Amino acid sequence: MKRRNFLAAMAAAAGALAAPRDRLARASPAPAQRLIVFYFPDGIVGTSSDGGRSAWHPTGSETAFTLSPQLAALEPFKDRSVVLTGLSSGPTDNGNHPGGAKKLLTGVDHGNGESIDQFVARTVGKAAPHRHLYLGAMANHNGASGDKHVSYVAAGKTATPEDDPQRAFDRLFGAPTSAPAGDDTDASVLDVVLGDLLDLRARVGDAEKVKLDLHLDALRDLEKRIKGLASPAASCTAPKLSTGAIEGKLYEPGMFPAILRAQIDLMVLAMSCGMSKSGVIQGSHHTSELIMSRFPGTEMHDPAFDMRSHQASHYGPRHDAAKREYRDYLAQRRWWVAQLAYLLERLRATPEAGGSMLDHTLVLMCSEVADGNTHSHDDLPFVLAGGAAIRGGRWLHAPGRRHSDLLLSIARAMGESIPSFGEASSGVIPGLLA
Amino acid sequence: MAARGERQPIDFQRGRNVTHARVTIGGEGALLPVVRALLPAIAAALLLGCGRQSASAERGDAARGALLYKEQCLVCHGAKGEGASGPRLLGWSRGEDALVSTIDARMPLGAPERCDRDCARAIAAYILGDLRDQPLVCNDDLASPRRLRLLTRVEYRNTIRDLLGEKPATTACGTHTFTLDPAPRAPATVHVAGSFNGWAGTIGKGGYPLAKKSDGTFALTRELPIGSHQYKFVLDERDWITDPANPNRVSDGFGGQNSVLSISCGGDPFDPTVAFPVDVRPEGFAYDSAEGRVVTSTHADEYRRAASAIAKRVAIGCSDTTCVEPFLRSFGRRAFRRPLTDKELSRYRALVSGRADVASGLRAAVSAFLASPSFLYRSEMGAPSPDGAYRLTGHELATALSYGFLGTTPDDGLLDAADRGELDTAEGLERHARRLLGDPRARTVVGQFGLQWVLGTAIESANKSAAMFPDLNADLRASMAEESKRFVAHVVFDGSGKLDELFLANYTLADARLAKLYGLPAPSGSGFEKLSFTDGRRAGVLGHASFLGSAAHSDQSSPIRRGLFVRRQLLCQELPPPPPNAGGVPDVDPSATTRKRFAQHTADKFCASCHQHIDPIGFGFERFDAIGAFRVAENGQPIDAAGDMTDVEGLGQGTHAPFSSLPELAQTIAASSASRSCFVRQWFRFTRGYREGAADLCALERLRKSFDASGGDIRALMIAVVLSPDFVRRR
Repeated sequence: MKRRNFLAAMAAAAGALAAPRDRLARASPAPAQRLIVFYFPDGIVGTSSDGGRSAWHPTGSETAFTLSPQLAALEPFKDRSVVLTGLSSGPTDNGNHPGGAKKLLTGVDHGNGESIDQFVARTVGKAAPHRHLYLGAMANHNGASGDKHVSYVAAGKTATPEDDPQRAFDRLFGAPTSAPAGDDTDASVLDVVLGDLLDLRARVGDAEKVKLDLHLDALRDLEKRIKGLASPAASCTAPKLSTGAIEGKLYEPGMFPAILRAQIDLMVLAMSCGMSKSGVIQGSHHTSELIMSRFPGTEMHDPAFDMRSHQASHYGPRHDAAKREYRDYLAQRRWWVAQLAYLLERLRATPEAGGSMLDHTLVLMCSEVADGNTHSHDDLPFVLAGGAAIRGGRWLHAPGRRHSDLLLSIARAMGESIPSFGEASSGVIPGLLA
Repeated sequence: MAARGERQPIDFQRGRNVTHARVTIGGEGALLPVVRALLPAIAAALLLGCGRQSASAERGDAARGALLYKEQCLVCHGAKGEGASGPRLLGWSRGEDALVSTIDARMPLGAPERCDRDCARAIAAYILGDLRDQPLVCNDDLASPRRLRLLTRVEYRNTIRDLLGEKPATTACGTHTFTLDPAPRAPATVHVAGSFNGWAGTIGKGGYPLAKKSDGTFALTRELPIGSHQYKFVLDERDWITDPANPNRVSDGFGGQNSVLSISCGGDPFDPTVAFPVDVRPEGFAYDSAEGRVVTSTHADEYRRAASAIAKRVAIGCSDTTCVEPFLRSFGRRAFRRPLTDKELSRYRALVSGRADVASGLRAAVSAFLASPSFLYRSEMGAPSPDGAYRLTGHELATALSYGFLGTTPDDGLLDAADRGELDTAEGLERHARRLLGDPRARTVVGQFGLQWVLGTAIESANKSAAMFPDLNADLRASMAEESKRFVAHVVFDGSGKLDELFLANYTLADARLAKLYGLPAPSGSGFEKLSFTDGRRAGVLGHASFLGSAAHSDQSSPIRRGLFVRRQLLCQELPPPPPNAGGVPDVDPSATTRKRFAQHTADKFCASCHQHIDPIGFGFERFDAIGAFRVAENGQPIDAAGDMTDVEGLGQGTHAPFSSLPELAQTIAASSASRSCFVRQWFRFTRGYREGAADLCALERLRKSFDASGGDIRALMIAVVLSPDFVRRR
């Protein structure tokens, strides 16, 4: 423990020294314009409980490395990605899923802080029609409790993902986004509501003020839409999303791949239309009962056998290819990375300002634990992909460094010059940002 | 400084020094008993020469210990060391050294390496110092937090229904009214034949006859099972016709069409909440009413959309300026559940007058009322009272009572009573509480509690293996959920009303689908009926498929979830989360029975430290598969369903209660005082919407005593919770 702190301190010191030199060496790149967090549950095949070497890590050096089989789908985007290993979300609750999920995007123990995506929404994305998009695929299944959601609007308060792509689409594009004067939901109606809210706010204690301030934020966001200040970009005519096949089947495991794809498509569509600058795509939730063996047309598919995400994650104490859980778990993790690749592909295929959306977007792939069987919060799996704001084509291994530094680095890459993020950041991760 | 994991003989000297720490940290009065207890040791320390000691690092740092205790010990041993799932620490009599070495070697349970010797010393210093046996000092000073409670989706839906005056809320769940105007024909009899009564061709064979009314039309209202049904009308027991008034039809396979009917509970076709974000609960909190839900941009979108849709349905009945103010006052009072303030009235009046005409102005006002935070939150802020605390106003009390008992907004009568100040006296409050408890809608609220209490809501969506459970469809799932609701409401309102019966009942409320699953004779009617168990397999809620199926995986039972349910939900005994690396699950044999596989898990000493408190209970449910059906074998191997309800009154007590059937387990649980005090907490959580904290302990203790004294009378508890001083008094 102490040794790790020491190493982290050394790394931080090295980073502090390295940073100004980096800045001198390079023209400051344009900050990334938007952030997409891509969350998947139950970790990866990492260091096993008998000490077997992580099967997630690439091999090679920082710039010349080979992706592991789990990460293989990332190959087409290797030059646009940084694979980050070694990062830790700290000792608190180390060893369980909920504790990891709470720290994952907040960088604060027990989820007692705003998550990075919400921070970006509140700063970079403030003027967008929707400050934040939280799209889920079966993320609310079986009444998933709040600790299973990774986006925190404030300390201890999670946002709720929308699991229905069609409904999310309708909210973004379906009904008129603005209300003409005279409509029974026009701006004058909202002004009355705001008046009521401010009256109420004056009467409550501090705890309830937090609640009402978040409510106020939500109404200000709505105000932009009602006043027509936040319409889709002019280039965005007749946006479409295909969701027919999944209608009414939002919690059928076999539909999961189609639902996740629809949510990825929608996220890219919404952002290309300028509807939002920060979003989270949450696939299922931690300790997931998602039966991945029902995904049609995948290597996991087996209609005769239910293999769930969390079940597979407990593949045993060692990496044992003779065990079905292990093989399926590997296949599942490969699948998740392939979905990340699909998201990156969609971004790259959408032209924007002389390049593609990918040039101006940061995508963070993450899970709440490292190895699924040990639940370790050390050596967590992260991939940060995107455009000019980061130095792609790298594998950065920073053992013992706190993952808050990654969250801080993301804030910086988005042009927000905050000194720290979460409760344990010591500085930007050296070599990550362009 | 002792290295992590180092095991060394207890150092007599070091132990002594802690007494010094205590002198500086604890207050003198509180210190005395401890000092007295340790006098011989202090004398010994003096003889040995305390002066030799200097390293303050060796002394347990009680302040640090307080933090460590909170982080690592509190969940099991209680905030005051009073014991919860873990044993009581107060009054520790084996001395400091033993405490330090016990903590060092064994705590936290299953992960002793998380707390090294320094840590153990610090915690021991805290336990023996500041953590004292302070008997709960309770007086009438009770007060619970002031707060705003965001309506749940169900509350919102009920509220709108009542505001619009649509559909009398007292209609029993699952009823449907058939009507037929046969003109120009004039049949003598009309009956309904359908999937619910075996397509009975005649009334004698079970067709449901419609009554002929004086105008020649026919009508029938009756209860039907929840789910989707097909039917036809039969005229004079001869001519089968499709219901002309029902546009929902499917082919009957004979070239004609069947009418299709969907029966759901409270099936109001207008549901403005359908796109609302789900009500998310905090980790480990079972109820929709949870605190902490916040309004996000998505909520704002949906509240606005719903307000607009509802505004279009409101009968305004006012089109000239003379009735604007009366309308605003009246609708505003119903929406905000209190009279409007002058400021609000002028704000809404200005909105109306800014519109082209009165009708559209009032519609905009309705839309604003329904999107207003004063509508969306139930206020429990209270008004300042002379003693420096706050007191809920009469209107806030009316609101709290109405949502608490009926799940909906107070009606005009209750608001009138609040206007008259009737709720400001304890007698008035009690009178109205009792009146509401007698309202049929209270059954629905108690039913919702019941299903959420047994963690049964997941059964409606949990994925199950289609190969293993081909008969499990949406209808059966709905029946499972319905059983728990009806059963709990039945016990509370029609049965003894006692907690015991929830555990021990040798009957349930089931429909034909469920009866088949349970191996019971089918009920005589088409709906839910009280059916008795005669095979000794099930008892009370422990045998409910909603619980058994939710606490299971898609294709296998989960002894862990079931065991945890008993510990956490029925006995309120919290177990620590799995310690670091607890997930190092050993290899298991996939062809073994579930029990054998889990037994392999718990053969591991590390895992067993916690699982010994979970699995032996869960194993006792092994005769029930992943959807709650009874079974005698698994994977071709016989089931061993021997269970042990260990430590029913608290972990670490060392008691055993072996059982071989659910009725036996139910006996042990029902006889425990832990289950009674836990039930008080569960109802408190449900109705108050938050997990109890230190500030609630006195109120809970009073409620527990009265619940005990009443022999576990649930209706009495429901009344006691609102008569508790902390219900009215806020801080």
